[in-house]
Amino acid sequence: MQLSMTAAETARRVSEGELRPLETVDVFMKTAREREPNLHALLAVLEERAGHAAERLDASLSRGEGPGPLSGVPVVLDDGICVRGTPTTCASRMLEGWIAPYDSAASEMLDSSGAIICAKGNMDEFSIGCSTETSAFGATANPCDPGRVPGGSAGGCAAAVAAGYAPLALACDTGGSLLQPASYCGVYGLRPTYGLVSRWGVAALAPSMDQLGILSRTVEDAALALSVISGHDPRDAMSSPGDRPDYMAAVAVPDGKDARRPLAGRRIATVAEMRGGSDLAGACREALDRTLAMLAEAGAELVEVHLPLSFNHGLACYQVLLAAEASSSLARFDGVRHGLSAEADSLNSLYLGTRGKGFGREVKRVAAAGTYILGSDRYEDCYLRASNVRRRIVGELLDALAGCDLIALPTTPTTAFRRGEFDGDYFGMSLSLSFTVQASLAGLPALSFNAAGAGELPAGVQLIAPRRGEAGLLAAAAAIERVRASRDEAGERRSER
Amino acid sequence: MRHVYTPVIGLEIHVQLATESKLFCPCSTDYIGAEPNTNVCPVCLGLPGALPTLNARAVELAVRAAMGLSCEIHDGTIFHRKHYFYADLPKAYQVSQYDRPLADRGELYISGDGGSPKRIGITRLHLEEDAGKLVHSAADGRLEGARESYADFNRGGVPLAEIVSDPDIGSPREAREYVSALRRLVRYLGVSDGDMDRGSMRVDANVSVVKSNADTGEILYRGDRAEIKNMNSLRSVERALEYEIRRQRATLESGGTLERETRHWNDGEGVTTSMRSKEAALDYRCLPDPDLGPIEVSREMLDAIRSSLPEMPWEREARFIGDYSLSEVDAAVLVETPALADYYERCVRSGASPLRASNWVRTEVLRVLNERGVGIEECPVRPEELGLLVSMLDEGRASTTVAKEIFGLMVDRGLSLQEATDRCGAHGGLSQEDLELAAKSVLDANPDVLAEIMGGRDLKGKKRKFICGLVMKETRGRATPGAVEDVIARFLEGME
Repeated sequence: MQLSMTAAETARRVSEGELRPLETVDVFMKTAREREPNLHALLAVLEERAGHAAERLDASLSRGEGPGPLSGVPVVLDDGICVRGTPTTCASRMLEGWIAPYDSAASEMLDSSGAIICAKGNMDEFSIGCSTETSAFGATANPCDPGRVPGGSAGGCAAAVAAGYAPLALACDTGGSLLQPASYCGVYGLRPTYGLVSRWGVAALAPSMDQLGILSRTVEDAALALSVISGHDPRDAMSSPGDRPDYMAAVAVPDGKDARRPLAGRRIATVAEMRGGSDLAGACREALDRTLAMLAEAGAELVEVHLPLSFNHGLACYQVLLAAEASSSLARFDGVRHGLSAEADSLNSLYLGTRGKGFGREVKRVAAAGTYILGSDRYEDCYLRASNVRRRIVGELLDALAGCDLIALPTTPTTAFRRGEFDGDYFGMSLSLSFTVQASLAGLPALSFNAAGAGELPAGVQLIAPRRGEAGLLAAAAAIERVRASRDEAGERRSER
Repeated sequence: MRHVYTPVIGLEIHVQLATESKLFCPCSTDYIGAEPNTNVCPVCLGLPGALPTLNARAVELAVRAAMGLSCEIHDGTIFHRKHYFYADLPKAYQVSQYDRPLADRGELYISGDGGSPKRIGITRLHLEEDAGKLVHSAADGRLEGARESYADFNRGGVPLAEIVSDPDIGSPREAREYVSALRRLVRYLGVSDGDMDRGSMRVDANVSVVKSNADTGEILYRGDRAEIKNMNSLRSVERALEYEIRRQRATLESGGTLERETRHWNDGEGVTTSMRSKEAALDYRCLPDPDLGPIEVSREMLDAIRSSLPEMPWEREARFIGDYSLSEVDAAVLVETPALADYYERCVRSGASPLRASNWVRTEVLRVLNERGVGIEECPVRPEELGLLVSMLDEGRASTTVAKEIFGLMVDRGLSLQEATDRCGAHGGLSQEDLELAAKSVLDANPDVLAEIMGGRDLKGKKRKFICGLVMKETRGRATPGAVEDVIARFLEGME
C-alpha cells in the first residue's frame, strides 16, 4: 500500500478482500512512527483501539457482513472530538489526562462506516490560534516545509493528511480553523453547511460557528466522508433535518456531452473587493487566476459580486463574536468536575489556580476579551453591534449567492507563514482568516483545494456555496481536479516528446 | 408630622416543572433520595462536546402555567446563558431566559387584606434549568465552617418556571396568600407538585418600604429594595417579610438609609442577614445561547393546551359556593388541591348532602390525613363509601356517634362500609328492646316532665325534645334521633 492511496481506494480494496484492515492500520502506525519526530502532527496514537477496530472489521468481513463505505480507512480526529475511552485534551493542560466517557456523533458514524480511528490530531489549544503553535503539547511542522506552520487550529490533522498518515481527518472549523490549514498544507478542506454535520461530542469554541469538517487528499474522499458524517442528529439542536443529495454522484465523472464542459451553465463569481487588495500575496492571486481559468475551461461562466461589508468588517465582527462565545464555552473548566484541578483552600482560589495554570496565554486572552465584551455595560456596544453586523453580512452573502452558484476566492491571503513569525502578534496572525470568516459567519459551506503552481508552497482556493450546496462545491472541485489531471497528462506527454 | 410606612413586595417564585426528564437531557428529574451523581449525563455535567436539546414537555407545562396566570405567551423566545462561577453550576452558566421571556403580563387574584379579591400582576414567566446541590460537611450544613463540600448534580438541569410578580403585594399576609394561590394553581394545572418542603417551589422576595406623610399621603422616601432568599415554607415567607419590613422601618425611623442588597433569611433565629450589597452584585454577562434555537409555540400547540386546561381553582370555588351552598371559607378548604375537591365531589355524587359531606371531609377526613401525614390520594376511605355513610346520617339511618364509629373502623381496620356497618350492627347494635328499655327508664326517672307533657303544657315541644335527648344519652348516642322520637311517641300514645 502506498502513502497516496485514497480513502475510496482503501475502502474498495478492503471490501474486496485485497487488503486487510490490520494492514492499513500498520501502514498508518509505521508512517506516523517515521514522521512524527519531525512533524508532531498527533497528540495521541490510538494503536490499541485501532487494532481492535481492525480485528472486528476483519471478523465481520469474513462473516460475509456487508462492508461499510469507509471500511479499513484510517482516520485522524482533531483532539477536540470525543472518542469514548480515549484522551481528549483539546491540546490544553486543562484537559491533560481527561478520558472522554462518551462518543461524539462523528466517531460513532466513523465506527459504523468501517473507518478506523487511528489518532488524535494536534491543534491550537481549544482551537484558539491559527498556527497550532498554541498547543500546550508543542507545535506541528508543515510537511511541505518544516520551517513553516501547518496553519490552525486543525494543523495537526492537515499535516497528518498531507504527510500521508491517513487519507482522511475530521476537524472542527470555526472561522477557518480547517480551511486555512488545508490551504497551508495543500489538501482538500470541506467546511459543510452549519447544521449538516452533528457537533455532538465536539468541544465547543464558538457554537454559532463551530462546524465539523473534512480534510482529505482527493475531492472524491471528501464526498465519501461527507456521505458518512452528514445527516440530522437530534442530539444537536442546531442540526437540520432534510434530504441529502448523493455526494458521490456529484464527484463522479460526467458522461456524454457534459464530459468536457461539466460546469456549463454554472455562474461562478469572484469578489470585486479582492481585486487590487495589496494584502494578497502573489502566489495566492496566481492560484485564484489559475483556478478561474480551469473553471472557465470546464464551462463555467465567470461573474463578479460585491461584498464590501463582508470583506471590510467580517474579521472584526468574527473576532468579537468568537471571543464572546469562547469565553462562555471555556467557563466550564473550573476544576470542579473534570480535567485539571488546582490545590486550593477556597472555591475562588480553586478557580484562579485551575484556570491560571490550565489555560495558555492565547486562551486567557480570548476568554478575558470575551468576558469584557459581554459585560452588561458593553454588551450593546460590542456584542449586540457585532451580531447586527453579522446579520447584515449574512444578508449580503445570501444576496450575492442568489445571483450566482458559487463564489471563488483565495482561502488565505498568503501561503504558510514561518514558525514563530507572529509570536505575540495575535492580530497579525488572525489576518490569515481574512477570507474564511465570511462563510463561518453565514453558516455557508466552503471547500478549499490546493491551486499552487508546481514546486511552490501550497496555496488554497476556496469555493463558497449557498446553504446545503455541498454537491455543487464538490462537483466544481471535481471538475477542476479533472482539468488539472488532463493538463498534467498533456504536460507529461509534451515532456516525453 | 405623622409618618406611615407602606411595604412594597414582589415575589420571584421558582416552580419545578413536573417533567420526567431534565430540561435539556434525558436524565431523570427524580432526585430526592437518589444516590448522588447518578441521574447525570454528559449534558447536565457540562462535559466538553455535550449539547442541550429542549424537553418539549417542559415547554408545554410552562405554557400551561402561563395560561393559568392569563399571561401573554410568545412564540420564538430564546434562551440566554447567564454566567457565574459556582461549584453547583456545571457549565459555569445557567441556561435561562433574559430579555424575551416565554410569557408575560399575567395576573393572579388573591384574597387581599381588605377582605375582597385583589389582583396581583404577573411580570413574567420564563423557563430555566436548576443548578446542582452542594452538601457541606459543617454541622449546620452551611458553607461557613465546612471543611469539605460535595457537589451533587442530580438536580442540575431540572426544569424550572420562574414566575415574577409585579410589586403589587402589600403585606406579609398577602405574600402568603399569593404563594398559596400560586401553589394551588400549579397543582390544579398539574405543572408541579408545588411542595415547598421538597423545594418544588422556592420563593425569593423583593421588599422595600415607602415612607409617606400620614395626613397628606405625600411620599417622603422610597427605600431601595432588599431581595430575601431562603424562605422554605409559607410560614417563613410571612415571618421573613414581617421581620424585614420591621427592620427597614426601624432603619428609616432611626434616620438610616436603605441600599439595594440581597439578604438571607435565617429561620432558626428569625432574622435576615446581608449576603451581598449592590456593589457586589454579579454581572451575569448574558449571551443568547448559540446551542439552542428559539422556543416554538405554535397556534396548534396553544389550542391543544388550552382545550386540556382543567377547571381553575377559583372557578371551582365559586361553583362549590353556588351549587352546594358552602361558605367561602369551607369552599376554600375543599378546593385547596384538585384531589381533595374531587374527593368531596365524588362523595356528594354518591348521595351525601353537600353541607354534611363538607363537614365530614373538612373534619374527619382531613384529621385522619393529618394524623397519618398522607395526601387525600391515600385516604383509607373511598369517597363513594363516605358518601353513603353520610347519606345514612342524612336519612336518619345512623346516629352521628355510630357513623363516626363506622368511619373509625373503616380507617383503622381497613373495613369496607358494609363490613363496618355489620360490625356495629343495625342502629349501631341497639335492639328495639334496648331502645324501649332506655325510653322507659328515662320516663320513669322524670315523672314531673312527663306530667307536663301529658298535661298539654309542652306547647313548643321543648320538654319532649329534652326527654328524647336523655334517651339518646342513655343509649350513649347509638340510637338515631328518628328512632328515639318514634319510641317516645309510642310510649306517650300508650299512656293517653
